Amino acid sequence: MKASKKNKGLNGSSELFDQARSTRPMLRTIGIYLCICLAAVITLIYIFNALIKKHDEQLTNEICNLVTEKMNSSIAYMTSSARNMSAVLSAQDCELDELYSQVSKSHEGSYESVGFIDNMGKIYASETELAEFKKWDLVTVANDADRFAHISISSPYRSGLTGELVFTIFTHMTYGGGKNGKLFVTYPLKEIQNMAATDTLKSQTEIWLMDAASSNIIQCAGSNKYSIGSWNNALIKKQEIDSKYQNAYSDWKSKMDLGEEQGTLVYRVDGQLYTQVFSKADFMHGWYVVVRLPSSSLSQTLMQFRYSVLVFSAVLTLATLIMFIVSHRRQVQEKLILENLSIHDPLTGVMNRRAFDLSAEHTLSRISKNGAVLLFLDIDFFKEVNDRFGHEAGDTVLKGFAAELTSLFGDIGTISRYGGDEFLVLTSGISHDDTDAKLAELQQRISNMKITDSTDTGNFRLSFSAGGALYPRNARTLKELKACADEALYIVKKNGRNGWGWFDDGKSKDYSYKGKKPDAN
Amino acid sequence: MNKRAASLLCSAVIVLTACTSDKAPEMTAEIKPAPPFQELNMNVEGRNNIYLIVKNLESSYWQVIIKGARDAGDLYDTNIYYSGSYIETDWEGQARLMQEAVDAGADAIILAPDDSVMLSEKIGEVYDAGIPTILIDTTANTEKYDICYMTDNLMAGRIAAAEMINRLEDLGHTNEDHLQIGIEIGAVTSQTISERLAGFIMYWSDNSPENWELVTDIKCNEGIAEKSAVVAQELLDEYPNIRGLFGTNNSSTVGLATAVKDNGRTDIAIVGFDYSDEIAELITSDEYSAATVLQQQYLMTKLGVEAANILIDGGTLERKFVDTGVIAVNHDNINDKEVQEVLDNN
Repeated sequence: MKASKKNKGLNGSSELFDQARSTRPMLRTIGIYLCICLAAVITLIYIFNALIKKHDEQLTNEICNLVTEKMNSSIAYMTSSARNMSAVLSAQDCELDELYSQVSKSHEGSYESVGFIDNMGKIYASETELAEFKKWDLVTVANDADRFAHISISSPYRSGLTGELVFTIFTHMTYGGGKNGKLFVTYPLKEIQNMAATDTLKSQTEIWLMDAASSNIIQCAGSNKYSIGSWNNALIKKQEIDSKYQNAYSDWKSKMDLGEEQGTLVYRVDGQLYTQVFSKADFMHGWYVVVRLPSSSLSQTLMQFRYSVLVFSAVLTLATLIMFIVSHRRQVQEKLILENLSIHDPLTGVMNRRAFDLSAEHTLSRISKNGAVLLFLDIDFFKEVNDRFGHEAGDTVLKGFAAELTSLFGDIGTISRYGGDEFLVLTSGISHDDTDAKLAELQQRISNMKITDSTDTGNFRLSFSAGGALYPRNARTLKELKACADEALYIVKKNGRNGWGWFDDGKSKDYSYKGKKPDAN
Repeated sequence: MNKRAASLLCSAVIVLTACTSDKAPEMTAEIKPAPPFQELNMNVEGRNNIYLIVKNLESSYWQVIIKGARDAGDLYDTNIYYSGSYIETDWEGQARLMQEAVDAGADAIILAPDDSVMLSEKIGEVYDAGIPTILIDTTANTEKYDICYMTDNLMAGRIAAAEMINRLEDLGHTNEDHLQIGIEIGAVTSQTISERLAGFIMYWSDNSPENWELVTDIKCNEGIAEKSAVVAQELLDEYPNIRGLFGTNNSSTVGLATAVKDNGRTDIAIVGFDYSDEIAELITSDEYSAATVLQQQYLMTKLGVEAANILIDGGTLERKFVDTGVIAVNHDNINDKEVQEVLDNN
């Protein structure tokens, strides 16, 4: 365990580097994933907004059409009533004095007043109405009845009798032996306004009558019941609209000015989105029905759904991200375990043979100046340890030997269990004298090791033999270097074990057997 | 990892929630509160007590209204009490005064509503309580009042537009000239102003030369005297082709007259409302071209007090709306007898 830890420490920086290298692609993947999620959410919002906008426009158009139809039907009923009244009165063929005394006494129906204009322009009406005819030049409007299918309608004006807005319908009639005259019927504007009232979205729907030429508007329905019937001008309303939508408003108004049947506008006022639709009113020349609705009222359900989808998407993204990270971490851990298994000897924790060869090749390729030392080590009489004390004791000896090697050479070299009881150590930047000192220390420590897990009390002292070779002095390849060290080991063993020696290339006599022969068993 | 995930989730929820949060409330200017009622004439026990509530206690226009009420009080042996707001947007102050009048035992209330929409409910309340309710100057969007004496502002706006065309023609402009007309209003919620504006634009769109264009950027002074000249100056600066200026009420007209005089713009015609010193100076001047539409406000309260007494005494009224009429005063007719009579009561 100790050896394993040391070996981990030896390779700690490279593991960190490896971890960093393995984390980078993960971060890249997460980044790409988040970008895709973000793009998906933006697309989703865009689609939802487009859907909501389309939904609002369609719904507002529908409401506007409905309101316009109702108002048109209402005025059609009024004009029809005026025509019927005209037909009935014309059929009597009386003088207008007589007819006026009849109609002024009976006040049935929803109209405010009834009167006549004879072929000489004389008006049969109350004093208050006569003043209004003069004030609003209603005779000119009456004369329009001759041009427009015997019907003309005035713009709304305030009645002296009621103080409310009214409008007057003029229609052609005959009297007194076929003379041409006109019947006029004055209705309160609220008769039409009431038609505009709708239970659906009542509190949010604003309905105006709008004169295209002047942009004047009369409120017919709205959230504030007291604002119904009030005059305003769309130029004032336009100023409330956010500057970004001013051009859209101008385009919308241009359509109205050009006499188009319908137009739709979407704009914001103080952050609130509105859809506004106009529809041509048949009954009043140049006037339009305008319906305005806040998007929040129309698309409340859709917007709630959009909000829920967004929250759901966010949660889903986070959950996926968390699962992804957890899964990745697990993968990394498994990979590390597998890598450890492929690099390290599972018993001793030092490198296995394959990993050592790869590592040593890499180390030797980088060493230039100071050279390296390769040691081939072998536990003496290890077979006997297994035979006498059992394999468990043998494993303990191997682990203990590897631990001592790691303790002495772990900081300066690579250690490997090369097979059985054979170990290889590759060090760099250390002289052979220092190596000798370390080997001597190792010899001392090994000789002090006890085989404690045995009931065998017989005398057995552990020792090892080692052979060393120098790179590049003895060999320039790992294979040759190992062969040199192995040869040196062979000589040590041949000379009685429990010692170490250096490969003798014949250039120096220093590289001979060192150490001391093991005690006799 | 769990903590991190939770914090990320919370952040996402906070961001989503923040997207739907409301805007912070805006600051509003402090309004000088309406004062308690004062006696307008000698208080005599046993006479009808009529309470008058005006729009602007500090305006010369409303002083004429108060004068009309005092004279009518003396004429019809009636005790008159009066108060009002200091700014023509303080409808809440007027609602409070109405309640104070009711609590004081008013036999009738004569009101010039600051806001025909917002005050409708309170007017209805007083009417339902059986107290004769007479409106002057401005109507309300309710049927619950007895009678309204006022200028038909839609018609007044039309008369103002006709006068503007006359003034521009007097300045020598022809149908071929390309020119602009600027508009300044006193409030966006006032029914009086909205109707004048609607009448002006209605007449203008039907009768003005095509090249005489209304500036769609209508300036609003919010009933603040100091602001009226500032927004008028903005109109002059932003639209150099302006040759006509229309003010929908007294404060707007004062602002326009001040700006025109300060800039020495004798090439600009002004048409406004009411007879302030500023517009009077331009009308009487030989250099400037100005006109103002005068209301018969003296008549409004005189008739209002008369109607209140009829109603208190159990009488009924045939009409519900009486247009007291207007007259356009300019350099040419200012010395006419009819105009002088109106001016004497202004």
